[in-house]
Amino acid sequence: MTRGSRFRNFAIGSPMVWIAVFVVVPYLIVVLFSFLTRNPEGIVTWILTLENYRELFSPVFLKVCMNSLVLALGTTVLTLLLAYPFAFILTRIDENIRRFLLVLMIIPFWTSSLIRTYALIILFKANGLLNTFLLSMGLISEPLSILYTETAVFIGLVYTLLPFMILPLYASLLKLDRRLMEAARDLGATSRHVFFHIVLPLTLPGIIAGSTMVFLPALGLFYIPDLLGGARSMLIGNFIKNQFLTTGNWPLGSAASVMLTLLMVMLLIWFFISTRRVHSGDMEAVR
Amino acid sequence: MKKVLVLFLVFFLPLGAFAAGKEVYVFNWSQYIDPEVLELFQKETGIAVKYSTFESNEAMFAKLKILKKDGYDVAFPSTYFVERMSRLGMLKPLDHSKLPNMKNLNQDLLNKPYDPNNAYSIPYLWGSSAIGVNAKVVDPASITSWDDLWNPAYKGKVLLMDDVRDVFAMSLRSLGYSGNETDPARIKEAYEKLLKLIPSVKVFNSDSPKQPFLNNEVVIGQIWGGEVYQANEENPDIKYVYPKEGATFWVDSMVIPASARNIDYAHAFIDFMCRPDIAKINCEYVGYATANAKAQEMLDERTRNHKAAYPDKADLDRGEFQTDVGDAIMIYEKYWEMLKTQ
Repeated sequence: MTRGSRFRNFAIGSPMVWIAVFVVVPYLIVVLFSFLTRNPEGIVTWILTLENYRELFSPVFLKVCMNSLVLALGTTVLTLLLAYPFAFILTRIDENIRRFLLVLMIIPFWTSSLIRTYALIILFKANGLLNTFLLSMGLISEPLSILYTETAVFIGLVYTLLPFMILPLYASLLKLDRRLMEAARDLGATSRHVFFHIVLPLTLPGIIAGSTMVFLPALGLFYIPDLLGGARSMLIGNFIKNQFLTTGNWPLGSAASVMLTLLMVMLLIWFFISTRRVHSGDMEAVR
Repeated sequence: MKKVLVLFLVFFLPLGAFAAGKEVYVFNWSQYIDPEVLELFQKETGIAVKYSTFESNEAMFAKLKILKKDGYDVAFPSTYFVERMSRLGMLKPLDHSKLPNMKNLNQDLLNKPYDPNNAYSIPYLWGSSAIGVNAKVVDPASITSWDDLWNPAYKGKVLLMDDVRDVFAMSLRSLGYSGNETDPARIKEAYEKLLKLIPSVKVFNSDSPKQPFLNNEVVIGQIWGGEVYQANEENPDIKYVYPKEGATFWVDSMVIPASARNIDYAHAFIDFMCRPDIAKINCEYVGYATANAKAQEMLDERTRNHKAAYPDKADLDRGEFQTDVGDAIMIYEKYWEMLKTQ
């Protein structure tokens, strides 16, 4: 065995052991627990059952899922609408300004997102910075009610997840061949036509990648809706947490976690299939 | 494979492997003891404190359940977890002769239904959840009952705890039942009453219910007494009202888990915590009310007479301590989910 291969084995092996010990094993325990029975005197009883999964098909849990899906979908659409023009402009400006803007976008990540969410509360609360400013300018006579509304939840989610949309879009817009746009214009296409028939189809992989990177975390982030929305509606994350911490129903909580993972895996598979389809579509277009 | 096994051992067996000298293993809520107290204890007794923390009763319960031996010597469960753990044989009975400082404790907090004669637990810090109002908007004198939360005048300005037991206890008490009800029909009745309150609720918060009050987002709601005491340092207009149906009380207690490795050191630690000067240090550091009557007398006048932190006897007697509702918690949670998916 040579030195190089030993190093390679170590470099590949140590993260694998790490993942196996702290991700795969705990997850397998979750999967196992999801088929066991709740034990009010302890944690679980070793009786195999499918009851936990059956219980998930209740109107309440479906409503919980719908709440989460609507929130995640809304966030994805809003971030896309905001990020696309921004990423587009980013590819067309002076390189130094572009680098500066990219750095500005990364800087908030140096602070925990939980702390940034608390900062939003300070901004939006009835006697917060925004309301104090608007009141002192005489623009409003009563403080605006922003905190603990859906608006606040969407602002919080969009704010936190926007960079995950911008970066993939920026990457795919950067690869866009300008000559195709020029050619289309030369042939008499309007700006709208150029956008919908050239730019949009060619950046579709970026849109799909960005949407996945926003949608999946938005499904699981429950502390932002809790803190900014006043915890008035229950999301999948809250549901899972309550099973573990309130009722001590670890099997049901595990089953809900497994369902959430399955949902995400299906979305990822859909993402891979649709990107591949887009790519093969490209090839045909070129041909 | 052997290496993986060694790795497992290193990660999962840090306890037990290094037991040497005089040590006491303490398992407490985070930020719930003045670190200075741990040093004082070691200096006076020569027993080193191995200190770990938890974030919820359930997490503590699960860990103690898994540890069969060589576990923690002292743990700090809340009110009804003492009851559940003693019922499940997870606690060692206390030897009161080894706890002479017990005499300093507030007699009103001893011998409660969750632990008759304090066979298993010694109260540490305690408090209540009752009604908070912003006196700038709501006259505190006009608030006497939990029912006042249902007043349509406060629509969109009400705060509730984000805790199923606390919210249902309030509704049950307002119906004249116990907050520890296990009768499904009565829990359902409380749920139906809460349905009418939900449209008025602006926010659910039990992490720091004082914040929505300080932010002028709510004018009335459920709140911990200790939070009102803290909020008053910033805004004296936030008042605390004990409703006529009674507030809900909680106590965090010290217990000796069945898996304890040194019962004598555990008693020594608990007794030390009951010393008035030590209880005073902890109470001032944590900011909740001390269960130590002698320590309470030593506090400054404003603190010791603040009704939100130290209720008078009538309010305490009217109130109720949370007890374990057993499997009825599943019924509570089902209705809670329904409330939150309206």
